[in-house]
Amino acid sequence: MGDVTDYVIETRALSKRYGRKLALDHLDLRIPRGRIHAIVGANGAGKSTLFRILMGFLPPSAGEARILGKDSQSLTPHDRSRIGFVNEEHTLASWMRVSQVAAMQQHQYPRWNQHAYDNVIGHYHVLPEQKVGQLSRGERAGFNLALALAQGPELLVLDEPTLGLDVVAKRAFLESLMYSNATDDCTVIYCSHQMEEIERVADNLIILERGQLRHMSAPEDFTARVSHWIADVPFKGPALHTVPGLLEMQQLDGLQHYLVLDQDEGFERFLREAGARNVQSMPVSLDRAVNAFLAKNHAAPNAA
Amino acid sequence: MARTRPLMLQIATGDPRPIIKQITDAVRVKIATGELESGDQLPSVRGLAQQLTINPNTVAKAYAELTTEGWLESRQSMGLYVAAPRQRLSDAERDRRLDMAIDHFIHDVVPLGFSPAEVQARVAHGLQQLAPRKRA
Repeated sequence: MGDVTDYVIETRALSKRYGRKLALDHLDLRIPRGRIHAIVGANGAGKSTLFRILMGFLPPSAGEARILGKDSQSLTPHDRSRIGFVNEEHTLASWMRVSQVAAMQQHQYPRWNQHAYDNVIGHYHVLPEQKVGQLSRGERAGFNLALALAQGPELLVLDEPTLGLDVVAKRAFLESLMYSNATDDCTVIYCSHQMEEIERVADNLIILERGQLRHMSAPEDFTARVSHWIADVPFKGPALHTVPGLLEMQQLDGLQHYLVLDQDEGFERFLREAGARNVQSMPVSLDRAVNAFLAKNHAAPNAA
Repeated sequence: MARTRPLMLQIATGDPRPIIKQITDAVRVKIATGELESGDQLPSVRGLAQQLTINPNTVAKAYAELTTEGWLESRQSMGLYVAAPRQRLSDAERDRRLDMAIDHFIHDVVPLGFSPAEVQARVAHGLQQLAPRKRA
């Protein structure tokens, strides 16, 4: 290990503007090499824009984006061959046969790893002579992952890869991702909205919101930041803007439920000072924590 | 050579306890109740990860925590084993934790309105269920 941390993705003050809207807002993101990193964010958080810029398909409005140490705006075909990309559409030429696509990729990528390909494709009932158009969604997902891993990428970007897959295909996909040797030397970026999967696969959780980095840590460390408090404050309770760390408040059966960020016992004091006689707190699940965190700033019509 | 003891455990996503903690809690209980005995070999990191469909690093972290706490020990390139039983906490710390647990328990139970005798009987029964079981 050198003293310089090696980042697979590094952006500095990266911005992308579409008309009046900032899709990326001075984004500073550094993803270290190795392991599986999950990126979550509400729709429109800027994930797709980020990857289009990183792959060099789109120029930034301002700032800098580097992928595998290279400026994303001047990637060579060789640089691109070090990056695998699987998106939710699993788009491939539908008229080609599976064997033809595989042969084409094998020809294109010098580091082609037939063993990795066989290993992953073996999870699926895909025959070489089948046309891509005849494969089911799950089979196409598996085929795509097999192609991407066989390419021997240093960085594998998966954008909602299991969207629309049935439970069996989903499990096969996760297994080939986590237990195939092909991913041993590969950094995986996993974009998903499915917390159940993120909990299973992610070493690192990255939360993007409105084009900015909002959080990065192990998933369990993020969950630990959020707590759920229930109190019986008389009347309507304290004015919401005075509640420290507030993510979400619900009034249920005369009790106030608060989901708050980064609060300790001091929050109990706050509630008691507001008149609560009973205060209880409990931890929340990752799903609930991320949900509350993202819901806080989710667009809503102006209150009447 | 010792064979790997199967680890009969399940994890749930969507639980407030992170998966690492679900694993460490379950292994500690299995050791405390004798379902796992000292010298038993644990599943490999990869094996348990596949059994639970989770990231192998998560299992590695859970195992590392259990090893640091003295529940498990690694034997050179042979894997992980349940360590010989020993007192893992100081007497004062054990006392403190017991007090804390009892305090919690009483707060939870008093509002339920059972008589103290009833509660004690149920606790005794519960503890009996956990008593080390003989293996077949």
